[in-house]
Amino acid sequence: MTVGSQVKTCFASVKSAEASLQMLAEKSYDQKSYQAFKETAVIISEIKSDLQKQVILLSKEEPQYN
Amino acid sequence: MPDWVIIIGKSLLLITVLFFLTKWLGKKQISQLNIFEYISGIVLGGIVAIHTIDPESNIFYGLIAMSVWFLIPFAVEFISLKSKSFRNFTEGKSTVFIQDGKIMEDNLKKEGYSTDDLLEKLRDNNVFLASDVEFAVLEPSGTLSVLPKKENQPLTAKDLGLKLAPQKEPQAVIMDGKVLLEPLANLSLNTNWLETELDKMNVSIENVFLAQADNNGQLTVDLYDDKIAVPEPTEKPLLLATLKKCQADLELFALATNNEETKQMYEKNSQKLKTAIDLVQFYLK
Repeated sequence: MTVGSQVKTCFASVKSAEASLQMLAEKSYDQKSYQAFKETAVIISEIKSDLQKQVILLSKEEPQYN
Repeated sequence: MPDWVIIIGKSLLLITVLFFLTKWLGKKQISQLNIFEYISGIVLGGIVAIHTIDPESNIFYGLIAMSVWFLIPFAVEFISLKSKSFRNFTEGKSTVFIQDGKIMEDNLKKEGYSTDDLLEKLRDNNVFLASDVEFAVLEPSGTLSVLPKKENQPLTAKDLGLKLAPQKEPQAVIMDGKVLLEPLANLSLNTNWLETELDKMNVSIENVFLAQADNNGQLTVDLYDDKIAVPEPTEKPLLLATLKKCQADLELFALATNNEETKQMYEKNSQKLKTAIDLVQFYLK
C-alpha cells in the first residue's frame, strides 16, 4: 500500500466512526451520553477535515497511484 | 334452599369481600407485617372460615365482624402514615445493637437477644466477625441491618474513582412476538427502527420471544427457536476499536513523514483523537 492509500483508509475509518457516533447520539435518550457522543463527533469531524486535505494533497503528489 | 347451595353462595361472597379487604389493607409482605397486622389478618381469615362452613350462621354478623377487623387496622395504618409519634407507638422503634464497633449489651438484653442470636443475625448478613461491624440496628420488623466498617464493604466504582456511563432501565419492546408500542415511544424509537434492527440480525418479529432495548438503542433479543444463534450487539466495541486504530494510524503517519508541517498536523490530530477516545470510552464499554 502506498502512503496515499493508507491515509485514505484511515480517512474512511474516521468517517465511519463519526457516523456511528452521530447515530449513537441520536439513539441515546440519556442526556449525558447524548452530549458525550455529540462532543466526540465534533472532534472527529475536525480530524476528518484535516485528513481530507491530506488525502487531496497526497493524490496530487502521486497522481500515478490514483 | 339446600345447605350446599347456601355454602357455595356464602363462600363466593366472602371470598370476594376478603379479596378486596386484603387488597385495600396494602401490599406489605408477610415478613414486614407487625404483630397487630398479622393477628388481624388471621382473624379476618378465621371469620371467613367459620362463616363459609356453617350454613346456620348469620352472614351479616360475619360481615359486621369483618368490617370492624378491617376498619381498625386500616385506621391505624392511616394514622401511622400521618403521625410519627403514633407510628413509634404502633410499630415500635429500632434498637441499636452495635455502635462505633462496640456491642451494646444493655440493648441486647432489653430486646431479649442472646449473644448467639446476635451472631446468627450477623451471619445472616454475611458477617462472621462481630468486630467487622461499625453499626448494627434491630429494625422494628425484627431484621438486623448491618453497616460493615469501611474496609469490609464491597469495592465500588466510586472507591476506585472509576467513571462509568449512566445506565437507564432497559425497555422490553417485543413480548411473545408482539411489538409493545409504549416502551418504544419512551425510547423515542418507532417500529421502523425495530424492523431494521431485526433485519440486521436476520430474524423475524414472530420468532422473537423477548426483545429489550437499552438507553443507547442497542437491541438484545431472545428467540423462540433456541437453535438460531443471535449476534451480540457489537456496534459500540467496534466503534471504540475503530477509533483506537485510527489514532494508532495517525501516530504511524506522523513518524513516517519527513515533511515537518504534515508531521505536526498528524501529531495534533492524533492527540485530538486521544482526548476524544478518553471522552467517550466509558460510554462504549
